[in-house]
Amino acid sequence: MSLAKIFSVSSRVRASGASSLVVRHAQYSTPAQEGKTEKVYPPTSPGYKYVNAEDPNMTMKALTDRAAQTLFWTELARGFAVTLAHIFKEPATINYPFEKGPLSPRFRGEHALRRYPSGEERCIACKLCEAICPAQAITIEAEERKDGSRRTTRYDIDMTKCIYCGFCQEACPVDAIVEGPNFEFSTETHEELLYNKEKLLSNGDKWESEIASNIRADHLYR
Amino acid sequence: MSLAKYLALDKVATFFNIIRQNGGIRASLFKLYRQDELKDGVLVGEDKYGNKYFENPRYFYGRNRWVEYSPDYHMNYDGSQVSAEWFGWLHYKTDLPPQQDPGRPKYPWMAEFTENLSGTTGQYTPYSTTRPKVEAWEPKAKA
Repeated sequence: MSLAKIFSVSSRVRASGASSLVVRHAQYSTPAQEGKTEKVYPPTSPGYKYVNAEDPNMTMKALTDRAAQTLFWTELARGFAVTLAHIFKEPATINYPFEKGPLSPRFRGEHALRRYPSGEERCIACKLCEAICPAQAITIEAEERKDGSRRTTRYDIDMTKCIYCGFCQEACPVDAIVEGPNFEFSTETHEELLYNKEKLLSNGDKWESEIASNIRADHLYR
Repeated sequence: MSLAKYLALDKVATFFNIIRQNGGIRASLFKLYRQDELKDGVLVGEDKYGNKYFENPRYFYGRNRWVEYSPDYHMNYDGSQVSAEWFGWLHYKTDLPPQQDPGRPKYPWMAEFTENLSGTTGQYTPYSTTRPKVEAWEPKAKA
Protein backbone atom coordinates (compact mmCIF):
# COMPACT_ATOMS: atom_id res chain seq x y z
CA MET A 1 0.00 0.00 0.00
CA SER A 2 1.46 3.34 -0.97
CA LEU A 3 2.08 6.11 1.56
CA ALA A 4 0.04 8.49 -0.52
CA LYS A 5 -3.00 6.31 0.02
CA ILE A 6 -2.49 5.99 3.76
CA PHE A 7 -2.13 9.71 4.39
CA SER A 8 -4.43 11.07 1.73
CA VAL A 9 -6.94 13.39 3.38
CA SER A 10 -9.19 14.15 0.49
CA SER A 11 -10.35 12.56 -2.67
CA ARG A 12 -8.58 15.28 -4.63
CA VAL A 13 -5.19 14.27 -3.23
CA ARG A 14 -5.91 10.63 -3.90
CA ALA A 15 -6.97 11.29 -7.47
CA SER A 16 -3.73 13.08 -8.31
CA GLY A 17 -1.27 11.17 -6.15
CA ALA A 18 -2.42 7.62 -6.61
CA SER A 19 -4.24 7.53 -9.90
CA SER A 20 -3.07 3.97 -10.50
CA LEU A 21 -5.52 2.82 -7.84
CA VAL A 22 -8.61 4.11 -9.68
CA VAL A 23 -10.88 1.24 -10.62
CA ARG A 24 -11.74 1.14 -14.29
CA HIS A 25 -15.18 -0.04 -15.24
CA ALA A 26 -13.73 -1.44 -18.44
CA GLN A 27 -12.44 -4.28 -16.32
CA TYR A 28 -15.88 -5.83 -16.51
CA SER A 29 -14.88 -7.47 -19.78
CA THR A 30 -11.77 -9.44 -19.02
CA PRO A 31 -9.37 -10.37 -21.85
CA ALA A 32 -10.44 -14.02 -21.56
CA GLN A 33 -13.98 -13.20 -22.75
CA GLU A 34 -12.84 -11.06 -25.65
CA GLY A 35 -13.70 -13.67 -28.25
CA LYS A 36 -17.39 -13.71 -27.36
CA THR A 37 -19.77 -10.93 -28.42
CA GLU A 38 -21.15 -10.63 -24.93
CA LYS A 39 -23.00 -7.50 -23.95
CA VAL A 40 -21.11 -5.62 -21.28
CA TYR A 41 -22.48 -3.12 -18.89
CA PRO A 42 -21.49 -0.37 -18.83
CA PRO A 43 -20.82 -0.25 -22.56
CA THR A 44 -17.20 0.35 -23.52
CA SER A 45 -18.02 2.49 -26.56
CA PRO A 46 -16.15 5.79 -26.78
CA GLY A 47 -18.13 8.82 -25.70
CA TYR A 48 -20.02 6.83 -23.12
CA LYS A 49 -19.31 8.01 -19.60
CA TYR A 50 -20.33 5.91 -16.65
CA VAL A 51 -21.21 8.25 -13.81
CA ASN A 52 -22.50 5.91 -11.14
CA ALA A 53 -20.48 4.58 -8.23
CA GLU A 54 -17.91 2.01 -9.27
CA ASP A 55 -18.14 -1.50 -7.97
CA PRO A 56 -15.24 -2.31 -5.65
CA ASN A 57 -12.36 -4.28 -7.09
CA MET A 58 -12.76 -7.89 -5.92
CA THR A 59 -9.31 -9.27 -6.68
CA MET A 60 -7.55 -10.92 -3.78
CA LYS A 61 -4.98 -8.14 -3.53
CA ALA A 62 -7.60 -5.37 -3.40
CA LEU A 63 -9.67 -7.30 -0.87
CA THR A 64 -6.76 -7.82 1.48
CA ASP A 65 -5.67 -4.21 1.06
CA ARG A 66 -9.11 -3.02 2.11
CA ALA A 67 -9.21 -5.41 5.02
CA ALA A 68 -5.76 -4.27 6.13
CA GLN A 69 -6.82 -0.64 6.01
CA THR A 70 -9.74 -1.36 8.26
CA LEU A 71 -7.72 -3.62 10.50
CA PHE A 72 -4.85 -1.23 11.03
CA TRP A 73 -7.16 1.72 11.65
CA THR A 74 -5.69 3.93 8.97
CA GLU A 75 -9.24 4.93 8.22
CA LEU A 76 -9.56 6.31 11.72
CA ALA A 77 -6.40 8.34 11.32
CA ARG A 78 -7.51 9.55 7.91
CA GLY A 79 -10.85 10.58 9.37
CA PHE A 80 -9.12 12.69 11.99
CA ALA A 81 -6.94 14.14 9.26
CA VAL A 82 -10.07 15.28 7.39
CA THR A 83 -11.35 16.90 10.58
CA LEU A 84 -8.03 18.64 11.11
CA ALA A 85 -7.94 19.84 7.52
CA HIS A 86 -11.40 21.36 7.85
CA ILE A 87 -10.35 23.40 10.88
CA PHE A 88 -7.95 25.34 8.64
CA LYS A 89 -10.32 25.60 5.71
CA GLU A 90 -12.06 28.87 4.88
CA PRO A 91 -15.63 28.57 6.13
CA ALA A 92 -18.44 28.45 3.59
CA THR A 93 -20.64 30.77 5.66
CA ILE A 94 -20.52 34.56 5.95
CA ASN A 95 -20.02 36.43 9.20
CA TYR A 96 -23.31 38.33 8.93
CA PRO A 97 -23.34 41.73 10.50
CA PHE A 98 -19.82 42.34 9.12
CA GLU A 99 -20.06 40.56 5.81
CA LYS A 100 -23.26 40.61 3.81
CA GLY A 101 -24.54 38.58 0.93
CA PRO A 102 -24.95 39.88 -2.60
CA LEU A 103 -28.19 41.74 -3.35
CA SER A 104 -29.88 42.68 -6.62
CA PRO A 105 -30.81 46.26 -7.50
CA ARG A 106 -34.32 44.84 -7.96
CA PHE A 107 -34.45 43.62 -4.39
CA ARG A 108 -37.83 44.37 -2.82
CA GLY A 109 -37.37 45.41 0.78
CA GLU A 110 -38.79 48.09 3.01
CA HIS A 111 -41.12 50.57 1.34
CA ALA A 112 -40.32 54.23 0.87
CA LEU A 113 -42.02 57.26 -0.62
CA ARG A 114 -39.71 59.27 -2.83
CA ARG A 115 -39.43 62.97 -3.58
CA TYR A 116 -38.56 64.92 -6.67
CA PRO A 117 -35.07 66.49 -6.69
CA SER A 118 -36.73 69.73 -5.65
CA GLY A 119 -37.94 68.11 -2.45
CA GLU A 120 -41.60 67.97 -3.52
CA GLU A 121 -43.20 64.63 -2.70
CA ARG A 122 -43.96 62.54 -5.75
CA CYS A 123 -47.14 60.79 -4.69
CA ILE A 124 -50.23 62.26 -6.33
CA ALA A 125 -52.72 59.94 -4.61
CA CYS A 126 -53.82 58.16 -7.80
CA LYS A 127 -54.43 55.07 -5.64
CA LEU A 128 -53.19 52.63 -8.29
CA CYS A 129 -50.96 50.94 -5.70
CA GLU A 130 -53.89 50.67 -3.32
CA ALA A 131 -55.97 49.09 -6.08
CA ILE A 132 -53.37 46.58 -7.19
CA CYS A 133 -52.14 45.53 -3.76
CA PRO A 134 -53.09 41.84 -3.51
CA ALA A 135 -52.84 41.87 0.27
CA GLN A 136 -54.77 45.14 0.56
CA ALA A 137 -52.07 46.48 2.82
CA ILE A 138 -52.22 50.05 1.53
CA THR A 139 -54.71 52.69 2.66
CA ILE A 140 -54.80 56.07 0.98
CA GLU A 141 -56.83 59.18 1.60
CA ALA A 142 -56.42 62.25 -0.55
CA GLU A 143 -57.25 65.91 -0.29
CA GLU A 144 -56.51 69.04 -2.19
CA ARG A 145 -53.55 70.87 -0.79
CA LYS A 146 -53.57 74.60 -0.20
CA ASP A 147 -51.71 75.27 -3.46
CA GLY A 148 -54.34 73.28 -5.34
CA SER A 149 -52.30 70.11 -6.00
CA ARG A 150 -53.66 66.69 -5.22
CA ARG A 151 -51.76 64.98 -2.41
CA THR A 152 -52.34 62.23 0.10
CA THR A 153 -53.29 63.02 3.64
CA ARG A 154 -53.03 59.38 4.65
CA TYR A 155 -50.69 56.82 3.15
CA ASP A 156 -50.60 53.81 5.43
CA ILE A 157 -48.95 50.49 4.71
CA ASP A 158 -49.45 47.58 7.04
CA MET A 159 -46.05 45.95 6.68
CA THR A 160 -47.35 42.83 8.37
CA LYS A 161 -49.93 42.39 5.62
CA CYS A 162 -47.54 43.20 2.80
CA ILE A 163 -46.25 40.25 0.82
CA TYR A 164 -43.44 42.24 -0.86
CA CYS A 165 -44.64 41.41 -4.37
CA GLY A 166 -43.57 44.79 -5.74
CA PHE A 167 -46.83 45.44 -7.62
CA CYS A 168 -47.16 48.84 -5.94
CA GLN A 169 -43.90 50.16 -7.34
CA GLU A 170 -44.75 48.74 -10.75
CA ALA A 171 -48.18 50.37 -10.69
CA CYS A 172 -46.87 53.75 -9.60
CA PRO A 173 -46.86 56.22 -12.54
CA VAL A 174 -44.53 58.71 -10.82
CA ASP A 175 -42.05 56.33 -9.13
CA ALA A 176 -43.26 57.53 -5.75
CA ILE A 177 -43.75 54.30 -3.84
CA VAL A 178 -40.75 52.02 -4.14
CA GLU A 179 -39.58 48.97 -2.30
CA GLY A 180 -36.17 50.06 -1.13
CA PRO A 181 -33.09 47.93 -0.56
CA ASN A 182 -33.40 47.79 3.23
CA PHE A 183 -34.32 44.46 4.80
CA GLU A 184 -33.06 45.20 8.31
CA PHE A 185 -36.24 46.81 9.64
CA SER A 186 -37.42 44.13 12.03
CA THR A 187 -39.17 45.53 15.08
CA GLU A 188 -39.92 44.46 18.60
CA THR A 189 -43.63 45.22 18.43
CA HIS A 190 -46.34 44.79 15.84
CA GLU A 191 -47.47 48.41 15.86
CA GLU A 192 -44.07 49.68 14.73
CA LEU A 193 -44.73 47.96 11.41
CA LEU A 194 -47.93 49.90 10.73
CA TYR A 195 -46.22 52.58 8.65
CA ASN A 196 -47.85 55.92 8.00
CA LYS A 197 -47.01 58.57 5.43
CA GLU A 198 -44.43 60.34 7.57
CA LYS A 199 -42.52 57.12 8.19
CA LEU A 200 -42.55 56.21 4.51
CA LEU A 201 -41.36 59.66 3.48
CA SER A 202 -38.58 59.60 6.08
CA ASN A 203 -37.55 56.19 4.73
CA GLY A 204 -37.31 57.75 1.30
CA ASP A 205 -35.22 60.65 2.61
CA LYS A 206 -32.91 58.23 4.40
CA TRP A 207 -32.44 55.80 1.53
CA GLU A 208 -32.67 58.09 -1.53
CA SER A 209 -28.97 57.63 -2.34
CA GLU A 210 -29.38 53.87 -2.64
CA ILE A 211 -32.88 53.91 -4.18
CA ALA A 212 -31.78 56.28 -6.96
CA SER A 213 -28.69 54.14 -7.63
CA ASN A 214 -30.83 51.01 -7.87
CA ILE A 215 -33.25 52.64 -10.31
CA ARG A 216 -30.37 53.87 -12.45
CA ALA A 217 -28.71 50.44 -12.40
CA ASP A 218 -31.93 48.85 -13.64
CA HIS A 219 -33.22 51.56 -15.99
CA LEU A 220 -32.31 49.68 -19.17
CA TYR A 221 -34.59 46.80 -18.22
CA ARG A 222 -37.67 48.81 -17.33
CA MET B 1 5.52 24.38 -5.89
CA SER B 2 8.18 25.95 -3.75
CA LEU B 3 9.26 24.32 -0.53
CA ALA B 4 7.98 27.19 1.60
CA LYS B 5 4.56 26.79 0.06
CA TYR B 6 4.68 23.02 0.42
CA LEU B 7 5.33 23.40 4.13
CA ALA B 8 2.49 26.02 4.31
CA LEU B 9 4.93 28.70 5.45
CA ASP B 10 3.02 31.28 3.39
CA LYS B 11 0.01 30.59 5.58
CA VAL B 12 2.13 31.30 8.65
CA ALA B 13 3.30 34.54 7.04
CA THR B 14 -0.34 35.48 6.35
CA PHE B 15 -1.19 34.77 9.98
CA PHE B 16 1.49 37.13 11.27
CA ASN B 17 0.53 39.69 8.66
CA ILE B 18 -3.09 39.61 9.88
CA ILE B 19 -1.96 40.10 13.50
CA ARG B 20 0.21 43.04 12.46
CA GLN B 21 -2.51 44.67 10.36
CA ASN B 22 -5.00 44.45 13.19
CA GLY B 23 -2.68 46.27 15.57
CA GLY B 24 -0.80 43.70 17.61
CA ILE B 25 -1.79 40.79 19.80
CA ARG B 26 -4.00 42.66 22.28
CA ALA B 27 -5.93 44.53 19.59
CA SER B 28 -6.27 41.34 17.57
CA LEU B 29 -7.68 39.44 20.51
CA PHE B 30 -10.20 42.23 21.13
CA LYS B 31 -11.21 42.24 17.46
CA LEU B 32 -11.57 38.49 17.52
CA TYR B 33 -13.81 38.82 20.57
CA ARG B 34 -15.89 41.57 19.01
CA GLN B 35 -16.13 40.33 15.42
CA ASP B 36 -15.55 36.56 15.77
CA GLU B 37 -13.10 36.78 12.93
CA LEU B 38 -9.73 38.28 12.08
CA LYS B 39 -9.06 39.27 8.50
CA ASP B 40 -6.57 41.31 6.55
CA GLY B 41 -7.67 43.69 3.86
CA VAL B 42 -7.46 47.05 2.18
CA LEU B 43 -9.36 49.95 3.74
CA VAL B 44 -11.70 51.10 0.97
CA GLY B 45 -13.36 53.90 2.87
CA GLU B 46 -15.07 55.12 5.96
CA ASP B 47 -18.54 56.57 6.36
CA LYS B 48 -19.27 59.55 8.54
CA TYR B 49 -20.44 57.39 11.44
CA GLY B 50 -16.98 55.83 11.76
CA ASN B 51 -17.72 52.46 10.16
CA LYS B 52 -14.77 51.23 8.13
CA TYR B 53 -15.15 49.23 4.95
CA PHE B 54 -12.55 46.69 3.87
CA GLU B 55 -11.92 44.50 0.88
CA ASN B 56 -9.65 41.56 0.18
CA PRO B 57 -10.27 39.46 -2.94
CA ARG B 58 -8.27 36.57 -1.48
CA TYR B 59 -11.45 35.58 0.36
CA PHE B 60 -14.24 34.19 -1.74
CA TYR B 61 -17.16 36.21 -3.07
CA GLY B 62 -19.50 37.05 -0.24
CA ARG B 63 -16.67 37.27 2.25
CA ASN B 64 -14.34 39.58 0.36
CA ARG B 65 -16.02 42.81 1.53
CA TRP B 66 -16.77 43.58 5.11
CA VAL B 67 -17.49 46.39 7.52
CA GLU B 68 -15.92 47.09 10.86
CA TYR B 69 -18.46 48.98 12.89
CA SER B 70 -17.34 52.13 14.64
CA PRO B 71 -15.71 51.53 18.04
CA ASP B 72 -18.38 53.85 19.49
CA TYR B 73 -20.91 51.05 19.13
CA HIS B 74 -18.68 48.66 21.08
CA MET B 75 -20.67 45.41 21.26
CA ASN B 76 -23.95 47.07 20.23
CA TYR B 77 -23.20 46.82 16.53
CA ASP B 78 -26.08 45.96 14.23
CA GLY B 79 -26.51 45.16 10.56
CA SER B 80 -28.69 48.25 10.07
CA GLN B 81 -25.83 50.60 11.01
CA VAL B 82 -24.37 50.38 7.50
CA SER B 83 -25.22 53.75 5.97
CA ALA B 84 -27.29 54.00 2.78
CA GLU B 85 -24.33 55.24 0.71
CA TRP B 86 -22.25 52.15 1.49
CA PHE B 87 -25.13 49.68 1.42
CA GLY B 88 -24.80 48.95 -2.29
CA TRP B 89 -21.05 48.45 -2.17
CA LEU B 90 -21.23 46.11 0.80
CA HIS B 91 -23.99 44.11 -0.90
CA TYR B 92 -21.98 43.73 -4.13
CA LYS B 93 -24.44 45.81 -6.16
CA THR B 94 -21.70 48.13 -7.32
CA ASP B 95 -17.92 48.10 -7.32
CA LEU B 96 -17.79 51.87 -6.87
CA PRO B 97 -17.43 53.08 -3.31
CA PRO B 98 -19.68 56.12 -2.79
CA GLN B 99 -16.87 58.68 -2.83
CA GLN B 100 -16.00 57.56 -6.38
CA ASP B 101 -19.58 57.24 -7.61
CA PRO B 102 -20.63 60.44 -9.39
CA GLY B 103 -24.21 59.26 -9.95
CA ARG B 104 -25.23 59.18 -6.32
CA PRO B 105 -27.62 62.07 -5.61
CA LYS B 106 -26.95 64.50 -2.79
CA TYR B 107 -30.05 66.59 -2.27
CA PRO B 108 -30.39 69.03 0.58
CA TRP B 109 -33.60 67.36 1.73
CA MET B 110 -31.97 63.98 2.20
CA ALA B 111 -32.14 62.91 5.82
CA GLU B 112 -29.50 61.74 8.23
CA PHE B 113 -29.14 57.98 8.25
CA THR B 114 -30.32 56.19 11.35
CA GLU B 115 -30.00 52.60 12.40
CA ASN B 116 -33.07 50.49 13.16
CA LEU B 117 -34.33 52.19 16.30
CA SER B 118 -36.82 49.54 17.34
CA GLY B 119 -36.74 48.93 21.07
CA THR B 120 -35.25 52.32 21.86
CA THR B 121 -36.85 55.65 22.81
CA GLY B 122 -36.38 56.77 19.21
CA GLN B 123 -38.58 54.05 17.79
CA TYR B 124 -41.40 54.81 15.38
CA THR B 125 -44.90 54.78 16.80
CA PRO B 126 -47.77 54.88 14.35
CA TYR B 127 -50.23 57.73 14.41
CA SER B 128 -52.97 58.94 12.13
CA THR B 129 -52.03 61.65 9.67
CA THR B 130 -55.65 62.73 9.17
CA ARG B 131 -58.33 64.23 11.33
CA PRO B 132 -60.78 61.57 12.59
CA LYS B 133 -63.98 61.48 10.53
CA VAL B 134 -66.17 60.45 13.41
CA GLU B 135 -65.96 62.51 16.53
CA ALA B 136 -67.28 61.27 19.80
CA TRP B 137 -70.21 63.09 21.25
CA GLU B 138 -69.34 65.11 24.27
CA PRO B 139 -72.45 65.97 26.18
CA LYS B 140 -72.50 69.50 27.43
CA ALA B 141 -73.84 69.94 30.85
CA LYS B 142 -76.66 72.45 31.11
CA ALA B 143 -75.73 75.41 33.14
